[in-house]
This record gives sequence, structure tokens and C-alpha cells, in this order.
Amino acid sequence: MNVTVESKSTNESAASIVRHAIDHAAHYLPSQGPIAVFVHHNTLHAFESMRFEEAVEAGYNKYGSQPYWPEARYRKEYARGRITDKDIDAVLLDDLRQHGLEEIAQGTTRFELYQSLMKSPVLEGSDAELRWLTAQTDALDHFCQGVSEAVKSQMVDTMRHWTMRDLRTANAFRSDIQANVDASKHTENSFAIFKHLEAFFPFSTIEDWSKATWQKWTLHFLWQDCIRAGEATRSRRIAKQPYLRHRDRLLNEVSEDCDLIVHDLLIRFSAAMMDQGVATWQIPNRSEGFYRCFLTLFQDQVPWAERWMAPLAKIIRDEDLISKSPLESIAHSLSVMGVPISEWDSYIERTLLALPGWSGMVDQMATNADWTLSPAKVGSLDEFLAVRLVLDRIAVRFIANKNLCGQKSFHEILQLGSRSAIDSPLASCRQRAFHLFQTAQKLGWDPKLLSQWSTAQWQTIVDELEHCDGVSRRRVFQLAYERNYRIQVLDSISEHARGPLQVPAKVRLQVITCIDDREESFRRHLEELDPMIETFGAPGFFAVPMYFRGAADAHFIPLCPVIIKPKNYVEEVGPLSAVQAELRRSQTRRLLGKASHGVHLSSRSLISGTLTALLGSLSAFPLVARVLFPRLTSRIRSMFAGLVKPTIATRLELERIELTDDDAIDDNPCTEGFTLEEMANAIQRLAGDLGIANKFARLVVVLGHGSSSLNNPHESAYNCGACGGGRGGPNARANAAMANDPRVRRILRERGLAIDDSTYFLGAYHNTCNDAISYFDLERIPQSHQSDFLAASKTITEAAKRNAHERSRRFESIELDSSFDEALNHVEGRSEDLGQARPEYNHATNAVCIIARRGRTRGLFLDRRSFLNSYDPTTDDANGSILTRIMQAAVPVCGGINLEYYFSTVDSSGYGCGSKLPHNITSLIGVMEGAASDLRTGLSQQMVEIHEPVRILFLVETQPEVILSIMSKNPLIDNYIRNEWVQIATLDPNSANIQLFTQSGFHPYTPSEAILPKSKTSLDWYRGWRDHLGFARIESGMVHQEVKS
Amino acid sequence: MNTAVLVNFLGFSTVLAPLLFLLVIGCSMLLQYELSEVAVGRWMKGTIGFGLLTSVSILAIMLLARSFREVVDLGNLVTIEDVHFHFHLSFIFDRLSVPMVILSLVLCFTIGSFGISYLHRDNGFHRFFLFFSMFAVGMVFASLAATIETLFLGWEFVGLSSALLIAYFHERVSPVANGLRVWTVYRIADAAFLAAAVLLHHETGEGQFIGMMSSEPWPYGVSTLDSVVAFWAGLLLLIAAAGKSGLIPFSGWLPRAMEGPTPSSAVFYGALSVHLGAFLLLRVSPIIDQSFPLRCLVIAIGLITAIYAAFTARVQTDVKSSLAFASLTQVSLIVVEIGCGFLYLALIHMIGHACLRTLQLLRAPTLLRDYKTLENALGGSLSVRAPAWIKWTSPSIQRRLYRAAMERGYLDAILDECFAKPFLRIFNAFDRLERSWICILSGEPLKATSKLNMETNTKKPIGTTHDSAPIPSSTREHS
Repeated sequence: MNVTVESKSTNESAASIVRHAIDHAAHYLPSQGPIAVFVHHNTLHAFESMRFEEAVEAGYNKYGSQPYWPEARYRKEYARGRITDKDIDAVLLDDLRQHGLEEIAQGTTRFELYQSLMKSPVLEGSDAELRWLTAQTDALDHFCQGVSEAVKSQMVDTMRHWTMRDLRTANAFRSDIQANVDASKHTENSFAIFKHLEAFFPFSTIEDWSKATWQKWTLHFLWQDCIRAGEATRSRRIAKQPYLRHRDRLLNEVSEDCDLIVHDLLIRFSAAMMDQGVATWQIPNRSEGFYRCFLTLFQDQVPWAERWMAPLAKIIRDEDLISKSPLESIAHSLSVMGVPISEWDSYIERTLLALPGWSGMVDQMATNADWTLSPAKVGSLDEFLAVRLVLDRIAVRFIANKNLCGQKSFHEILQLGSRSAIDSPLASCRQRAFHLFQTAQKLGWDPKLLSQWSTAQWQTIVDELEHCDGVSRRRVFQLAYERNYRIQVLDSISEHARGPLQVPAKVRLQVITCIDDREESFRRHLEELDPMIETFGAPGFFAVPMYFRGAADAHFIPLCPVIIKPKNYVEEVGPLSAVQAELRRSQTRRLLGKASHGVHLSSRSLISGTLTALLGSLSAFPLVARVLFPRLTSRIRSMFAGLVKPTIATRLELERIELTDDDAIDDNPCTEGFTLEEMANAIQRLAGDLGIANKFARLVVVLGHGSSSLNNPHESAYNCGACGGGRGGPNARANAAMANDPRVRRILRERGLAIDDSTYFLGAYHNTCNDAISYFDLERIPQSHQSDFLAASKTITEAAKRNAHERSRRFESIELDSSFDEALNHVEGRSEDLGQARPEYNHATNAVCIIARRGRTRGLFLDRRSFLNSYDPTTDDANGSILTRIMQAAVPVCGGINLEYYFSTVDSSGYGCGSKLPHNITSLIGVMEGAASDLRTGLSQQMVEIHEPVRILFLVETQPEVILSIMSKNPLIDNYIRNEWVQIATLDPNSANIQLFTQSGFHPYTPSEAILPKSKTSLDWYRGWRDHLGFARIESGMVHQEVKS
Repeated sequence: MNTAVLVNFLGFSTVLAPLLFLLVIGCSMLLQYELSEVAVGRWMKGTIGFGLLTSVSILAIMLLARSFREVVDLGNLVTIEDVHFHFHLSFIFDRLSVPMVILSLVLCFTIGSFGISYLHRDNGFHRFFLFFSMFAVGMVFASLAATIETLFLGWEFVGLSSALLIAYFHERVSPVANGLRVWTVYRIADAAFLAAAVLLHHETGEGQFIGMMSSEPWPYGVSTLDSVVAFWAGLLLLIAAAGKSGLIPFSGWLPRAMEGPTPSSAVFYGALSVHLGAFLLLRVSPIIDQSFPLRCLVIAIGLITAIYAAFTARVQTDVKSSLAFASLTQVSLIVVEIGCGFLYLALIHMIGHACLRTLQLLRAPTLLRDYKTLENALGGSLSVRAPAWIKWTSPSIQRRLYRAAMERGYLDAILDECFAKPFLRIFNAFDRLERSWICILSGEPLKATSKLNMETNTKKPIGTTHDSAPIPSSTREHS
């Protein structure tokens, strides 16, 4: 009795350890949900409590993914001037502070040493490579790259004198009367080298040595010095990541990876469990959950199954796994495998991280995907791990039995290879020597100087060199890279903002767009086309969070940032006058849908597939047409689709019709539609954010955005981030409808926000992929505003066309000298092209987020790299309550987008999802590479290829104190800023003074003397250029030309 | 005869056009002269488009002139007089080859154009089109072959380029491992093919299909072989066809072939490569006619594969595998049709299926959007219907069937156990024997002989070595 109680309690404690370990490990799994709703987020979200620089290295240790670009990539940027010496010096000075000036060798400060390492490439290699390099190539005959001519000749000259005067004669002298020479140990060394090298150089003709020979002599002598130094010094020891899992030990020992066979099965099984409708035959017993379903499916002994799986059925039966809970099963597996309880935490973490994409998705499907067709059961991650450990067990046993002599126990396998040291020195003697050799050349340390050095001195140098290792250098490069761009931004803005506020005296049209960086160029072109147009930026759900269902849609989808849970349902319905027609259309749609679904299914089956295939020749036409003439085909298709599309004259069921008490359902907090109060709140909030109060123009266009493209599993990522990966058109439409409602305006007037009766709001939608603009509810425009609309739509269409043109300069598949119309045609074709892996570049190149009045930046060319959030500090209170709510959204959203781009760029296959070309949609939840790989999360190489990985710089028009007070009240924002995940600076509302935040708080920024270039139009500035462009003042975009002072 | 000259000329051009593309791409890469992407596109469209044009003209001429067989002879490629060996290169234009070559060229043209934009800026752009041109040459050679050795030449080109395209992303482990696996299966098929060719040469003294299968143009040819020879030759050819088309027991390679970029997947199991085995059977259909047991075998293999693939396709959860097995279902039905002697039906089926599947594969990455569109049109979630009869079976049968389908019929495991292992065992035995002979002959004492390093599960991508040198940590981390 006692025994069972005891074992039960140990079971419980074991289960709680496992529980804790899984919860801890789940934290580190990718948090990307099913791909149909792609939400950008910081890839290293789990490390946000650390400082950025520590976090990227922690990420490297955890996932093996790169913290920064490879050094060679930065060197390329350095070579082309994107990183300058000035940037590197500034970063080093900032890093080293007073330690920089410490002399670490005669005449060389630490700063100079680091500088030399940064400015020319350091050749590093394995011991064998260096052995080959020094023995077989002429690496010792020539100075290495990056040594100046002056240093070269100075070194050779010194060496020459020293050789001629001291070494040679002293040597001769010494051999005669050895005892009398009072040579120090160091000079002894030099003599030894001299002796060693003497045989290789023709000393009889030393007077006639050529320059080349002297150089060779110097360098060989230097190399000998360095070799001796390398032997005398010690390297820092680094701890190798211990081999935790049996698999690691086995892989190291017998070079066979048991994860391969486990994953092959586990991936297939997980995909079947998570499937949202690809397979037409669902896995039996799916409802019983991951673990039990697995055990049931694999309980039968199948003689011809793969050999490694043979013991599975027996284990399932004998150990009665099915009666164990998943947690008990995990504990059981771990103890069978001989993992000490103290290591369970890390063992479980490493095991889950062995297949991060799938583990993460299982977790997401169980915790965060209630909107999907069939979410996973709560606790699926535990079950996944339980299954995985059972498989690991038999796979390890199988591989071990096959490759190791004798039956090894699990415990013995875990001890395999442990004899080898856990920590090893960072570098070998030769590696140290070669590093010293290069450094000595760059800093002009000649052998004569070096002969004076003691081992301790050498050791100091070695320590310094190892301190400034590859990762540190890349870090410095990254900071320099960011600094370079930051200075450009701050200089240009401070110069631009010095002028008068660019607000038109008379406003003809106001356009409110999303803050999205892709709308920057669109807004600029609008402003260039007509100085009387004013533009604003607000998060693209326009303060209307809702569940929306279109007239032809099957489901409600949330349209708002993911952090908000909408409370209101809005539906698009056809007009009452066309109920019959609408019904007919929807029936036709249904019929067509059924037919195409039928073809889809039957083409995959046996009998009906034959019929489909016999008629398959017909598909040659769409095949050829769609591939060769995508744009034309899509036009023809949309012509036909027009026949069954819902009528355009739909309306939103926006208003909440109060239910009588009988109908009211109390449990449901969600309601259909909005009350007038809620509508007024939305408009008031948006107007407040924009600082637009009482200054509305006659026509205000609210412009949502989204994107459509073909053959793009990541399509949702291209949509509006503020609409949770949805298309923002309905929000714009709803917002405009609310603002037009006279009852809403009455409420607003009571609250002090007067919207003039002559103001009309119009909802519109911008497709950022093909630059098409569509408008909503046009038939409701009052007669008085029709001419305003016609004029406005003409300008907007023109601006969209120019936007397409500016965008197209990035696409190599269209000539740089194309016309506006050609560019528009091109982007239209792109969005319909099946073979197009880059329909648009999405947020790539984003680098800045400006939260300020547009008047401060209007007329500045920002190269589509900046989020533009409107905010008027003059209408805000002293605490910055409007700014607070703006930043609560902007910092995590823009920061998240920017950081996801950062990580997917610096390590495309580690943090990103690699190349798009082999992607294969799995279970409708994600993409794999080929038929059985881990689920790939992050952004694809094609999406980020033109991105510059810099942390986003927030520039806020306010006083530093306001930011500090916001930070103190909002831990999330504070964390982002203090841990340097984002950069932040303030722009004084009344002057052009900028203050930049550093660890020690805000400090005034002194702009450099660079002059902001001017250009007549944006076109003049960007024409003929594919790469990133600098800032410029676009004169036609300005309202007031600068007053000559 | 005027028509003959014209067809000869056009036929010659059809064969040479893709060859020119291969030469241009190949030579430019060899000489390290990098053609621009646009230039590659132009060459591709120009040459393959030209080939398409000439082959369509041939079709028109043949229809007008009502002549259904023309042979374009290029003479002997290799002649070894002593052993009476000659490698005869000649091409035939008949009711089978002309539709097939037009199909091949249409699909190559379309997929090539797709590839130009899809692989834009990819590091391996040129490499892709090198393999692709090799593939096009292979398809044209195989489709038009008039001798069995010409067909073999085309067959090899197709096989090699397929394997190389599967391993296109050679910086990752699994594409290379899977490419190798496919290549191995192809080698078995090739060996059978070669044996068949030798057998036929031996029996008839030549490799001409016309000679082997009497004078009537396809499909009315009658084989002159006696039925025993026909059976053995046909059996070997059936093995070759099964390997190439992924019929049982070789079906395991099919999902592995998806490692390449989407256009290459579309070419293989969507359209051309996978039909090549069926095409071979069509070409040698008179031989199948000649032997009743062979005919039964063809039908049996076709039927079993069809049922197997239909099952397996149902449980696949990724879009490309599901299309791959759906493809296999139809290919094996085509084989059944060939076995039953419905040759025209098989040809029409093949062409229709290739077009349909290519379209489906090219738009496979659009699946999410397609599902959404369908859902919206139907006004609700798409129903997942398991086949009705499954519900009538007991849970234990359902479970076993499902597991078998999910593990793809255990075919890979069975092949490994029943073929690869014994094969390796025999050769290991030979190896040991050889070593001991060497020891005896050189007078050294007999050493404990180590096994060949090959005895590993063939699925493993990393060749196992028994020396204990640890692999570098970088590769270990990223495997």
C-alpha cells in the first residue's frame, strides 16, 4: 500500500517536472500560427527581456541561427561605402570608451588594434588550412591585404637595418665568443630565428638583395616570431554545447542520425493530425488526441513495416502506454532512456527544438487557433512530445544496436564520447600565430620591436584579439551599418523640418491611409500632384475593430490588430431591391463552386479521375494562357467572374439593431453591428490620433489596403498588419459610413468635434500589389460632392500609377526607362502571374517609423522605407495620452515587422523559411521544403532579398520627457526601447532639434553639415536607379518653398 | 517524294532544336560565359518554340498527305564492326510519336516560361535550365525514337536530368539523398531496359522498331518475335517502365521527387517523366500483344498500382504528394488500358492527364487561396468525405488500411529489405572473397576483413563510415 502511494506521489512530482519543462520549452518554439493568417512578430520574442545584442547571441546558442549577417557581407557594404570608417570609429569609441586609449603594445592603443581588425579582412581558417596556406602558398612572401605602403616600407627598412647591423654581425660575433654575450632571453629568440632561416636565404649576397627578398625576409622572420608567440600563449577556452540527447551522442559516435527516421514518420503523422482539409481521408480516431491516436494506429505488428519500428507495437502493448497520461508517458520514456531527472528540463527542450517548426505549430494549433476548421486539443504539445519520445526510444535502440558492438544500455549511450573534453581552446597555436602575424603587419610591428616583447605582452595581445572575435566584429559592423543610416535619417529630417510646417492653406482633399511603409510613396505622389491635398497615416483598421463577412464570403474574419479581440460583427449584404438577382447569383456561384470542387476532388481519385483526365486536354488552354499571358487571362477571367460576383451596390449592416429582451442572448458578449455611441467613439478616436479636429476638407478618402497575388502561400503576410493579416477595405468603408452618419456627427458635435456638413467621407481600398484603387458606396455620394469625387479619383489614379512606377524600379524584370503606364501594366501582370515569386516586396527595406505631423516631413523623399504615423503634439495633453495609445500599437507592430525582417534577412534558412521555390503547402497550415521537412517559419529569401537589416528608428515629434513618462508607464514599450530592440529619437515640435535615446537617456543630436539634395519631383530623384536611395527634398511636394535666409 | 523530304527536314529540325538549346546553355556554362536571364529565356523560347512549330507542321503534313509513318535516319552513331554492334540513331514520326513530341514540347515551353520568372534571381538559374534543356532533349529523343537504342539515349537523358533536378538544392541534405534514391531506382529500370535492348538485338539483329514490329504503322504493328522471347523482352521492358513511371514496387520514389523547385516537380510526376514508362509500353505494344501472360502482368501491375495510389493519395496531407499519387493513379490506369489494348484511349488519356496535372501542379502553391474561393462559393467549410465504403469496414481494418496508406504501402521498406539488403550482402561477400584472395596471392596473413561501408540503410543520406572521426560541429548542428 505504502509503496503504491509513494510511487504515485513520485509519479505526480515527475509529471509536474515534465509539465514545467514543457511550458518552459514551449516558450522558445516559433510562435507563427497557421499560414492563412500571417502575423508579423519579433522572431526572438522569447528573448525580449534581454538586450538585443545578448539576445541574438542567446538565439544563436539556442537555435544555431546567425546573430548578424556574415562578416563578408558587411565587408561588401563597407567596400561600397554603406559603412564608412567614420561609422566604425564611432562605434568602437562608443564601445571602448576610456579603455580605448589604453596602450596594449608599444605605440598601439586598444582602439587602434580593434580598428585594424575591422578595416581589413582577417583571414581565419582551420589549423590544417593554415598549415597548407603557410607551407604551400606564397602567403608568407607578401604582405596581407590592408597594409599601407608606408607601413610596408617602414617595416622592411627597420628589418633591413636590424639585420645588417645587429643580427648578422652579432651572430657572427656570438659564434666566436659565446660566453661573453649578455643577450637577454628575447634577443636569444631572435638569434634562434635567424639561425633557423639563415639556410633559406642567400646571405652571401645580402648586399644585392632585391626589395622582394627583403620583404620576404621580413615576413618570414615575423612569421617565426609569431609562431613562437603562438606557442607561448594560451587561448580562451570555450565550453562546447554538451551533447544532451542520445541522438547527438550517436551521431557523433557512429555518424548516423536517428532523428532522420523519427522525423520521417513524425512529420507525416503530425501533418495528418493537424490537417485542415488537404487529405480526403482523415486519420482514424483523430478526436482522441495526438497521443492516443498514435498509439491506436501503431498498435498492430506489421511484419513488412520499416525494421526500426518493429519493437513499437510490443512496447505499446507491454508497457500499456495507452493507460498512461501523456505526461506520465514522457516521464516514463525519460526514465527508460536513463536521463537523470536533473537534466529533464534541458532534454525536453532540446527534443522539442529538434523539430521546431512542427512542435511550434502543434502548440499554436492547440492554444491559439480557435478560428481554424479543426484546432488541436489543448495539451497537444505534451502529447506530441510523448509520441516523439516513444519513437526516439526505439530509433536510438535501433541505430545503437546496428552500429555499436554489443548491446549498449541507454545510459551507456548517453556516456558515449564523454571522455573528450567539454571545453576546448578557441584556437590552436597556428591559428593564434597567424592572427598575430596579420595583426603585426597591419599595425607595423616589425620583428625588431617584437623581439623585446615578453610572453605576458603577447598574451595581452592574444586576449584582445580573441575578445574581438568574429561575432564581435560582426556586431560592430552591424552597429556601424545602423549608425550610417540613422545619421542620414536624422540629418535629413532635421534639415527638412527646419523649414515651415508644410500644411496647405486650403485643403481640397484629405486622404487617410495606413501607416504602412508602402503607402509612403503613394502619399508623396498625391501631394506632388496637388499641393492642396493633405494626407494622414493611421493604423489601417481605422479604429474600427470588427468581425467582417463579405457578401460572397463564407466566414466572418477578424479585421483588427491581433492584440484586439473585436466585439462587433459586421456583414456586407446586397440591396433589398435585388434580393432575387442576388440569390440567383449566389446560387450560380454555389453551382460553379461545387463543380470546381468536384473537379478538384475527382481529379485525385480513381474512377472519376479517368473521366477528368480524358477531358484534361482542355486544361492545356488555361495552362498556356495563364503562364504566358497572365494579365490578359486574368482580365478575361474577371470578365466572366463579373457575371456571378455580388453586385457592387452592397451595403454594410453596420448599425446595431437593438434586440428585444426576448431575443437577447446574455452569454454572447459580441453583438451585431455598432451602436451610435461606439461609432462616435471610433471616429473621435481616429480624429484624435490624426490631430485632424475641426479641419476636415470637403472630401475625405479613407483608404484601406491589402494585396493579392497568386502562387503565394504567404499572401496574408502582404496584407495589412493592422487588420491582422486581412484586407483593410471594409474597415475604411465602415469608418467612412460611420463618419457620414448625421446622428454620429451630432454626438460628436456634443463632444466638441465638429464635422462640417459639407464634409463627406469616402471609403476606398488600395491593392498594394497591382496598385488598383477601388471605392465603396459611390452611389451614395451626394450630388454636391460628385465633382469633388471625380477630380479626386483622377488624382488618386494618377498617384497610384506613379506609385507603381516608383515601385517598379526595384523589379529587375522591367526596364528602368519604362513609362508610368507600362509600369502599371507590369505590376498588374505581376499580381496575376503564377510564376512570380515576388509579387511585391512587401515591407522589405523598412527602417524608420515617423510619428509626427505630416507637415514636418512632407516633401521629403523617404524611399518607401518609413512607416508614417500622423500625430499632432499640439493637440495632445502634457502626459501624451494620445501618443501613448499610438505608441502602444506602433512600437510592437512596426517593431515586430522590422525585427522579423531583420532575422529573416541575417539568417534566411535559420530564422527565415529559406527559398520559396521548393515550398510545399502542408495541411493548409504551413509550408515544408519538399515532401517531408520541418515546417518553415519566418519570411522567404525572395521576400527579404532587398532588405537592409537595421533596427527600426522611431522618430517621434514630442519632448523627450513625454517619451520617458510613457516608457515608465508602459513596460512593453520601455522594454523594447531600453533593450535596444528599436531605436528612438524625438523631434522637437517647435524646432528642428532632435534628441536621440541611448542607454543613458536622451541626448541632443548634432546634425552633420551634409546638405540635403533637392530634386524637382520624385521621378527625377529615383529615375534610373535600382538600389536604395538617399533622402532628398522633393520640391513639387512642398507647400511652402523654403524662405531664403 | 516531296512530302518525305519535307518531313525529313522538319523532323531533323525538331530533333535539333532542343539540342541546340542544350549546347548553347552547356557551352556557355562550360566557358564560364554567363548568359543573362533574358538571353536564356530567349534561347529557350526560340529553340523549343521552333521545335514545336516544326512538329506541328509535321502533324499537319501527315494529316494532309495521309501518310502515317516517316523515318528520319541519322545513321549509326557508333559502329563496332568486329562485334557487329551499331548504335543506330533514327527517328520515327507516326501516330504515337508526333502527339507525344508535341505534348512534350508544349509542356516544356510552358514550364520553361514559367521557370524563367519563377527562378528569377535564383543562384542556380543557369543550372536549372541546363538540366531542363537536357530533359527536353531526352523527351524529344525518347518520343521520336525509331530504334530501341535511340529511345534508350533519350531515356537516360530524362533520368539523369530528373535526378539532378531533384537534387537542385544541393546545399541541403535531403534533396541530395532523395535525388540519389530516385537515381538508384532509375538505374534498375535502365538496367532492365538495356537488357531488353540487348535481347531484342540478339533476336532480331537490329534495334529498329519497324523491323521488330512488322511493317504496319503504329498502332497496327504486329510483332515478329516468338511469344517466349516476347514475354522475356516484354517483362524487362515492363520493369523499365515500372521504374520510370513509379509503378509498384517502385512507387516509393514519387514523393521524394518533390524536393526540386515547383516547375521541376511539374515536369516530373505531373507531366512528362512519369508518363515515359507508359509511353514505352505504348511503343512496344505489339510485343505485349504477342504474349498473353505478359498482357495479364501489365494489367495486374497497372491495377494494383492504381488501387494502391488511389488509397495513398487520399491520406496525403501536403499538396504536392497528394498530386503525385493522384498522378500515379492515372498513369497506372493508362498502363491498364495499354494492357487491354485500348491504345488510342491510352494516348488520349495520357495527353489529357499530363496537361491537367501540370496545371494543377503549377498552381499548387495557390492551394490556400483556391480553398478559400471554394469555401466562399459554397458558403461554408469544405466537407472532407472519406469514401463511403470505408465506413462499412471495422475500425481495425480502417486503422490498418490507413496506416498502410500513410506509410505509402511500406514499399520503401520492402524494397530495402528484400532487394537492397540481399544485393549488398552478396556484394559484401564478394568483397570479402576478393580480399582474402588478395591476401592469399600476396602471401600476407589473412586479416579480419572489414565490411564494405555500404551496408547501411539505403535511406540514410549520410554514408556511414566506421572510423570514429567526429564530424565537424557545424554540419552536426544543421543536419
